[in-house]
Amino acid sequence: MSVESIASKVRSGGRLDRAEALSLYADAPTLLLGQLADTIRRRKHPARDVTYIIDRNVNYTNVCVARCAFCAFYRPVGSDEGYVLGFDELFRKIDETLAVGGVQVLLQGGHNPDLPLEWYEDLFRAIKARYPDFKLHALSPPEILHLSRLSQEPVPAVVARLVAAGLDSVPGGGAEILVDRARRLLNCESKATADEWLSVMRTVHQAGLRSTATMMYGSVERPDERIEHLYRLRELQDETGGFTAFITWSYQPTNTELGGVEATGVEYLRTLALSRLVLDNFDNLQASWVTQGGKVGQLSLAYGANDMGSVMIEENVVRAAGAEFCMDEAEIVRNIEDAGFAPKRRTMAYDILGGPLFRERDIPRRTELAVARRSGDTHVPAELAQYPARSRPGKQQRDAVSDS
Amino acid sequence: MSEDVTAALEQVVENVTNGVSPSEADVAQLVGSPDLIALGMAADVVRRRRHGDRVTFVQIVEAPLGAALPEGPLPAQTGELRVTGRPESDAVAVGAIRAAVACAGVVPVTGFSFADLDDLSGHNVGRLAKLLSALREAGLAQLGEVSAEGLQDPDAALALLRDSGLVAARLTLGAATGTVGLSLMRQVASWHGVGEVCRCLAPLPRVAPSPPSTGYADLRQVALARLLVDNIDSIQVDWALYGPKLAQVALTFGADDVDAVPVAGAKEQGWRRSPGEVILRNIAGAGFTAVPRNGRFEAVDVGTGSERHAGR
Ligand code: SF4
Repeated sequence: MSVESIASKVRSGGRLDRAEALSLYADAPTLLLGQLADTIRRRKHPARDVTYIIDRNVNYTNVCVARCAFCAFYRPVGSDEGYVLGFDELFRKIDETLAVGGVQVLLQGGHNPDLPLEWYEDLFRAIKARYPDFKLHALSPPEILHLSRLSQEPVPAVVARLVAAGLDSVPGGGAEILVDRARRLLNCESKATADEWLSVMRTVHQAGLRSTATMMYGSVERPDERIEHLYRLRELQDETGGFTAFITWSYQPTNTELGGVEATGVEYLRTLALSRLVLDNFDNLQASWVTQGGKVGQLSLAYGANDMGSVMIEENVVRAAGAEFCMDEAEIVRNIEDAGFAPKRRTMAYDILGGPLFRERDIPRRTELAVARRSGDTHVPAELAQYPARSRPGKQQRDAVSDS
Repeated sequence: MSEDVTAALEQVVENVTNGVSPSEADVAQLVGSPDLIALGMAADVVRRRRHGDRVTFVQIVEAPLGAALPEGPLPAQTGELRVTGRPESDAVAVGAIRAAVACAGVVPVTGFSFADLDDLSGHNVGRLAKLLSALREAGLAQLGEVSAEGLQDPDAALALLRDSGLVAARLTLGAATGTVGLSLMRQVASWHGVGEVCRCLAPLPRVAPSPPSTGYADLRQVALARLLVDNIDSIQVDWALYGPKLAQVALTFGADDVDAVPVAGAKEQGWRRSPGEVILRNIAGAGFTAVPRNGRFEAVDVGTGSERHAGR
């Protein structure tokens, strides 16, 4: 089938198969891909609204046993640079988030063997007790799987316990590329195979929670594997309808074991546009300005995205891999309006909260993203003493905390 | 956007594809529409008609006035030694070019803006003509830039350049953006013979505006430049000012030349992440064929070492 006939199929509302998607991805001019993606976006969002959320991306620990080859964020167990945030530190971050109109925290972290399931439950309960309306968008599928392995409880039971403690929704992190050949090369197959990632998401959706989905492209995978990833997501969405949004970003190579180079801006826009065409059962596609910068981030709105993602406030993972871009609410709104759209503030479930908050009340401008911890801050939260550690360095650290 | 507006834009793109120059009404339609892709498609058609799938780029070494010149031979991939800064006197300007030429060997030396030299000459046409000739005799291959925004008498300025035997590497729009930029592009399009003395048009602002320009604004300006200014052959984007990502996307919106790809960093960042490799990947990734050039806009070989300079 020629590119033009596949394009006609898209225009007339047909569903692309894998071969057609691959053919478009390989051969369609970038502007044609953009035009097709924009056609679908307009069909799904005729009001020309572009949404965003004010939330904070908090990484509660950087200690991780998974050791993904593409990750610049993690520190091994026992590292001097490893940290676990204390409950008080997290409360402070939530207070700061509320002060700028934030409605949720996106809580993700490393697979820390010294944080048992009870730590998460206590943390979630404590947050919900202090901030009953504040939303917890937390723990990607590999983290849930890690907790299942650590606690030796099945995934549905772990999800049920986390929901009972206050979990509201699940971020789609850890998907990388949902093809095991690529996952093996990325050394992330053991944290979750493609089937396991999808199975955790199925469980989450069956438990009544919504989630997002992601794809990190541009590392070791082939183009057909990117497409396979999108189809695996589309099939699960057909089954459960539980995904609210899809976000794709390029692998950030700086400071990683895998190394290599970052995919280009055009490749990002092509991948985003193709995602809009394949994921015809996803309502929302987010722009990844955090990895692409503000300009290409804004251009995402011409290539199928209808959402500028999160105002962020804090970011640690992408920054560790060399990308450091900051946009506060005013800047996100300026970019949305400049592109001819109406900015709308939303929740994780895409309920509209209103227009730009900074126009309703005074919110200080922010020119850089916060970090999880200031460098050199090595303090160990006192409450950790209550939880058993599994690793030897973890046990030693607990003993030291208890003694002090 | 209504279906009617979309259909009207598609008609404009189709007209351009069929070789019909965009009318004032067509341009107004494209400018007024948030449909950035339609604008890009129209510009891409015009760009491909002129340049096919060729994208030229130049790797430069900068030589700021007053700073020490690079020691030893310039790196093999250097296509241009660019003297930057505003000279304090004619003698400083000419001396800087002589020294740069001695350092550059076969690599063309460029530098200075028309506005700075005009200031230096006290806006005296005769003095400016003498200075331009002296710079050319000192070995200046091309004048760095002429800003359309600052030109009081464009015809006289272009004539002066022509008479001096010097060509400007680029005509810029200075800081003009939006409707001001658009009106300046229309004026440039009416300047007779500008394409003979200005090698390309660099339509994006030369100093970062505050607040910073957006991706949409930058690409709109690039695409409109390609559609409106048909008396200058090339539309240029600047890697250093706009970054590799935006410069790459701009290639799909009408640009055909990438300026100011640094030479520095090639060793420090490793071979695959060196600017020379990144620009080749970016151009191929945007669907074009990369043609390295030098500061005289002559194509040079992609090879390394002396091979790279064989075309000069
Ligand atoms: S990506 Fe996540 S799971 Fe993998 S090493 Fe980094 S922190 Fe650990």
